[in-house]
Amino acid sequence: MRKFTISLFLMLFIGLQVAYAQRSITGKVTSSEDGAGLPGATVLVKGTTVGTITDANGAFTLLVPKDKETLLVSFVGMKTKEIALGTDNVVNVVLELSVQQLEGVVVTALGIPREKKSLGYATQEVQGDNLSTIKTSNFINNLSGKVSGIQVQSNTNMGGSSNIILRGNKSLTGDNQVLFVIDGVPVNNQITNTSSQTQAGVGYDYGNAASDINSDDIANINVLKGAAATALYGSRAAAGVIMITTKKGAGAGDSGYKKGIGVTLSTGVDVGFVDKTTFPTYQQQYGAGYGKYYGPDGDAYFNIIKVNGVNETWVPTTEDASFGAPFDANLMVYQWDAVDPASPNYQKATPWVAAANGPITFFEKPVTWNTTLSIDNTFNKGNYRLAYTNFDQKGLMPNSSLTKNIVSMNGTWNVTDKFTASASGSYSIVKGKGRNSTGYNDNIVTSFRQWMETNVDIKEQWNLYNQTARNLTWNYADPDPATTDYSPIYWDNYYWTRYQNYETDQRNRFFGNVALDYKVTKWLDIYGRMSVDTYYEIQEERRAVGSIATPFGIGSGSDGSLTRSDQQSGYLRRDFTFSEYNYDLMANFNKNLSKSFNLKGILGLNIRRTNFSRLISSTNGGLAVPGLYSLQNSIGPLPLSKELVSKVGVDGIYASVSVGFKNMVYLDATIRRDHSSTLPPNNSVYYYPSVSAGFIFSQLLQEAKWLSFGKLRLNYAQVGSPAQFDQLVDNYNIITPMNSPITSVAGSKKNSDLKPEKTNSLEGGLEMSFLKNRLGFDFALYNTFTTNQILPLVLTTATGYQSKIINAGEIQNKGIELTLKATPCKNKNFAWDIVINWSKNYSKVVSLLDGVNNLQLGAFQGGVTLNAMVGQPYGVLYGSDYVYDANGNKLINPANGKYQITTTSNNIIGNVNPLWTGGMTNSFKYKNWALSFLIDIQKGGSIFSLDMYYGLSSGLYPETAYTNDLGNPVRNPIVWKDPNDHSKGYASTSGGYINEGVLPNGQTNWVRVNASTYSGFGYKVLPNSAFVYDATYVKLREISISYSVPASLLKKVFITGITVTAVASNPWIIYKKIPYTDPESGLSAGNLQGYTTGSLPSTRNFGFNLKFSF
Amino acid sequence: MKKILAFLTILLIFSACKKLELLNENTKDPTNVTGESLFTGAQKNLFDQMTTPNVNFNIWRMFTQQWTETTYLDEANYNIDNRPIPLNHWNVLYRDVLKDLSQSATIISSTSYLDPDPAIKVNKLAVVEIMTVYTWSVLVETFGNIPYTQALNVNNVNPVYDDGLTVYKDLINRLNAAIGKLNPAWGSLGTADNMYQGDVTNWLKFANSLKLRMGLLLADIPSEASFVKTTVESAAPGVISSNADIAKLVYLGAQPNTNPVYDNLVASGRNDFVAANTLVDSMNNLADPRRQFYFTQVDTSTSGTPKLAYVGGIYGESNNFFSYSHVADQIEAPTFEAMIFDYAETEFLLAEAVERGFSVGGTAADHYNTAIKASIAYWGGTEADAAAYLSNPRVAYATAAGTFREKIGMQLWFALYNRGFESWTEWRRFDYPLLVAPPEALSVIPLRLTYPTTEQTLNGANWAAASTAIGGDAVSTKLFWDKN
Repeated sequence: MRKFTISLFLMLFIGLQVAYAQRSITGKVTSSEDGAGLPGATVLVKGTTVGTITDANGAFTLLVPKDKETLLVSFVGMKTKEIALGTDNVVNVVLELSVQQLEGVVVTALGIPREKKSLGYATQEVQGDNLSTIKTSNFINNLSGKVSGIQVQSNTNMGGSSNIILRGNKSLTGDNQVLFVIDGVPVNNQITNTSSQTQAGVGYDYGNAASDINSDDIANINVLKGAAATALYGSRAAAGVIMITTKKGAGAGDSGYKKGIGVTLSTGVDVGFVDKTTFPTYQQQYGAGYGKYYGPDGDAYFNIIKVNGVNETWVPTTEDASFGAPFDANLMVYQWDAVDPASPNYQKATPWVAAANGPITFFEKPVTWNTTLSIDNTFNKGNYRLAYTNFDQKGLMPNSSLTKNIVSMNGTWNVTDKFTASASGSYSIVKGKGRNSTGYNDNIVTSFRQWMETNVDIKEQWNLYNQTARNLTWNYADPDPATTDYSPIYWDNYYWTRYQNYETDQRNRFFGNVALDYKVTKWLDIYGRMSVDTYYEIQEERRAVGSIATPFGIGSGSDGSLTRSDQQSGYLRRDFTFSEYNYDLMANFNKNLSKSFNLKGILGLNIRRTNFSRLISSTNGGLAVPGLYSLQNSIGPLPLSKELVSKVGVDGIYASVSVGFKNMVYLDATIRRDHSSTLPPNNSVYYYPSVSAGFIFSQLLQEAKWLSFGKLRLNYAQVGSPAQFDQLVDNYNIITPMNSPITSVAGSKKNSDLKPEKTNSLEGGLEMSFLKNRLGFDFALYNTFTTNQILPLVLTTATGYQSKIINAGEIQNKGIELTLKATPCKNKNFAWDIVINWSKNYSKVVSLLDGVNNLQLGAFQGGVTLNAMVGQPYGVLYGSDYVYDANGNKLINPANGKYQITTTSNNIIGNVNPLWTGGMTNSFKYKNWALSFLIDIQKGGSIFSLDMYYGLSSGLYPETAYTNDLGNPVRNPIVWKDPNDHSKGYASTSGGYINEGVLPNGQTNWVRVNASTYSGFGYKVLPNSAFVYDATYVKLREISISYSVPASLLKKVFITGITVTAVASNPWIIYKKIPYTDPESGLSAGNLQGYTTGSLPSTRNFGFNLKFSF
Repeated sequence: MKKILAFLTILLIFSACKKLELLNENTKDPTNVTGESLFTGAQKNLFDQMTTPNVNFNIWRMFTQQWTETTYLDEANYNIDNRPIPLNHWNVLYRDVLKDLSQSATIISSTSYLDPDPAIKVNKLAVVEIMTVYTWSVLVETFGNIPYTQALNVNNVNPVYDDGLTVYKDLINRLNAAIGKLNPAWGSLGTADNMYQGDVTNWLKFANSLKLRMGLLLADIPSEASFVKTTVESAAPGVISSNADIAKLVYLGAQPNTNPVYDNLVASGRNDFVAANTLVDSMNNLADPRRQFYFTQVDTSTSGTPKLAYVGGIYGESNNFFSYSHVADQIEAPTFEAMIFDYAETEFLLAEAVERGFSVGGTAADHYNTAIKASIAYWGGTEADAAAYLSNPRVAYATAAGTFREKIGMQLWFALYNRGFESWTEWRRFDYPLLVAPPEALSVIPLRLTYPTTEQTLNGANWAAASTAIGGDAVSTKLFWDKN
């Protein structure tokens, strides 16, 4: 309870203790909730300025003038109590929760605590326990469904990045990720994934840097949603802020609070199981091949290759598709395992059957261990907390792991009554190994979902790899025993890929700050803080000698990830260094001008310097010595490294004034002036103001007992956003020389006249609670316009450029957010709480540049693009579509029964924005038991599946092998009654299927599509729009049951608390529409969403957690 | 308090004094480069694009059925949108070639050289101009009307498409001007020129050969008869005159400067292409001595002693890689050269010019024979091979079948191996050999590439106008010069 309350703000009322005729009163102030002492409560002699604050245990001693007989005892969030003094000199006071108080004090921009009721803008809190009960590698994922207005898109990559957007995408091409702030200090959330990775090419998802934050250190999170709430942070907070308050030395009322030193040990383990609804099921009737294309005459399902001079039947190992021969256990054929002498089936024919162990057996059970040990102490002169966390995860893929070791410490020292020093720091080492590849190329799951043979037994692949440590693939380019070079053609042995071609990465990071607070007078204090966030990160990627060639090394693009040449082996490393320094100086004043008026204000200065450097180096042409991964082990001359150094600085000055009237009306105004290094000098200084008002109308309705609290709020803000680094001056690219130096004009034209982006936002809200806070809601409406967007406008290259940076475009985001809270049942032993969050955001691209009505955000394999189109929501998918007749029927090609497909690919085939998102948490408490579960819902949104696009055409899925309307296998050939007269129709033995639609002559379609070869399904016969799915889901996101051992049982041992928790995360996808994958699966965080290819299945995770307090 | 105020003041002063905007400087990439280095890159990009067999960029070898695909048959069946082939071709030529050439010319113009003679700078600019004209000619020959007068200007994001014929004639005029400026007494771009190492004599020959071809491309347009005559006849005396003069670029041993055929066929480890039966059968019929330099052989025996032969995969259908002839090893070598104009082609064009009645000297048969000899010699054959081949009545000019269109068209098809684009253009011009689209083809054999689909969204109004002007944005639309 209220452990985040910062004591210095409670010490404003320490009065002078006048030597006068007086008596000494002692006592203790406790909370009615739990009976614990309240430190920092104010005890004032009514009608005077004489007073004191309670100590760490809630105790106080006060000299009271003889003629005064009443004490006023107050504490934030509690009802102020008047105590009539009798003759007793010992006064114990029990304070009750203020009825008008909803959630007490929250941390707002710059780390300033404010009473929530006084705010004129929307914020929403999540307690740390709600984030740390479930241990995930990225605490951001645990926010999904818990805050209205937030959209969290986690993906299934191990340690992968999560996309987190508040109230819609405000910037067309800039960073739309929220800003993370820990204890008032921004932390870097850089995503270092390559541009190839984000466009589904080849690459790994290295996660987002905010995932270094340890969920066990989080006391609570406050989400600042709108521009008015974040205005003091200036430009970088335009997308919203997540304010994180870390745990401090325990105060009274904290669970586990104990006088003196407290020790908490929390440890847990979690095991995952593949959710089979998010992974393909395979047809079991047909094996390798694309059709009857093999054999000496090109008309058979199998090849004929001599073994020891005798012609034998061979499975076409070159084909990564399953449109081949029907399985037949009596048919003996030579398969991939007949090729290598190490195999038990070497030069042996084996039955032609579906694999006993399909791809799902490839996955391992991910196990996560998580342990946190913390020590805290609160003493007269301050408090401290020291914590160590170890997180150790073994991933779903073989040979993958993620470990984190984090040490953090913070402390506050009350040097004198007026002077407080505090510091905090956290050092983390995060190591990843064997992260899964993402995207189309070089990704095992692409094979599993799109390109494979259903006859390949995964266990056999393992056995042979395990036995030989060689690349004995199922996909030999040429299995002919007469050749000696058994190299793979498209896919390596999957285990070879995992155990030889793995990446590793490590990030060593420190962030922390030191702060000094000096109380000049009782209404003014000066606060100075210096903070740093710095890390070094290395990413190393390997390809072992003997692997298939894949794009590797350094190609074009600023990060060298595009148009790379195919290399069969190699080593690549990326080195990153990052540092950000913030210097803050703030003067805070807080004064009651009269009985009714309170005035608060801040005057501050912020200086920020951010340095980021990246160096990418790689071998070229392969590795000279197999197994040695170093740059000097390159066969060819090293390619030109890619080096980037960016420096960004912002100097800000800000002021804020808050006026409170009778605890009923609050007015806030802020202004900030930023000077940014990334804009041209004449545009680099800009201002943005905000005003907000809160009106607690329930103050006027004191008689209405049913109404516990009611507030109206309204605010307006304008936030500016500068450009990114280096957008003003044109540079040339330097290219690997060819006999002589080579340069080229950069593809993107920069702009030396940029102005800052502007976001204007208007927000209103209503917050009410009823029946002693048993029922309440918080409702918000907002409308945001972001104008003057700084964006790279994609151009026809006939202009000589790919894009140019312009200041144009406007996006509107308007939306509704609703949070409902109810306590249907509450008594001494039992409580039931419900929290429902619901939000809906409409985004609309209002304008781009004159004459331009579309901005391409990304282009993906399959011919699908993601776009911002004028008049449409941000993020519409373009692609080919069906051709419709005037009545809206799909038109069929009469020659082959296939759908007619548009030749244009600028048809809108999807919108990646959900219609709405919501979550419902139910919590039950019965004595020492607690149960809670969260249901998370997304309605709408589109996702394009490249898996289905290709996987149907390569015949993997049951949708390609079923019994057709005539009762025949659909893959049987088309048979006419009379081959010379098609008007007589089809024979009863015919295969094929009939598409729903009409022929050009208006007839209902009756022409069958030939499905006997790989042209029969998937991308060859359907438009892009056929592969766009509704991303709706309903998920049981988490469920936890905990039991706290009653304190009475622990009295005789040194342990003060034991809590046992059983948790399940993502145990059940209750509803979804997209087949074989998780609707949340995607590429990585960023603006490119709505596309899935080769994603890992998701897992249901079950675990338990033990927490001891000493 | 005073100390704190002092600190605040110092911070403010510190922040105000330092020029914050200086932080934004990119300290790793240049803001100024030489025009020569831009030229080198543009030239390499051009050769790469004209030569690569990457299915995302260049599939012309399949349009004239030199090669076909093994498993993934989209491109062999003229699906040019599954992979954005028109867009990639357009992007490379506009953005990676023309923009760099234009910037190269701008920088060279404004550079003060310490060269011994001002003629060198003039030569440099003329060489850049010739490379530029060649690139534009490829764009017109691919698409028809294209953005030209308003192109390469980033301030006009919606450039209009100009009429193809007007552009083409302007290019010929620009070529004439450049030829007039070249002074063979002096050098030009030197080592920055990987085609001729700055040799101006060779650049003159290339420019004249290009002019000859560009003139003949317009030869079927009656209204341009006199313009064509002037162009062809003024070009003929200065054209490429031996295999030593050909316009080629020799690749290096290490990526990324390797032969694109090596990159896509060897380094990739893929088995996507085999020789097409259409070309292989035709060359087998004539026992063409170049087969050994074009293709590998396969064993066609069913038992016993191997029987090696050149066998092409069935065009447009699935083909087992190991059953058919592949691209010959020398063409796949990392250092094999790429070519944009050769001597054989020049002589075939002269033969055509004679047949069309232009006074370019010699007889059609002489030029035809010289062309075939040059081609066989270039690929590695002997004079005896050439003599034997020419003695075949189906090859000899006097006795070979058909009109000059068929005779020259057939031989150009054989000679322009590994040069898909030129092969495609000459096939469109001569209408020979007679090629048939495969059964699963999405369209007729393309007569042009459609405009990149992105033009529909990025430059829609101008795209629509151009599409109408050329008779529809389809692969079946005949371009202005393709009259038969």
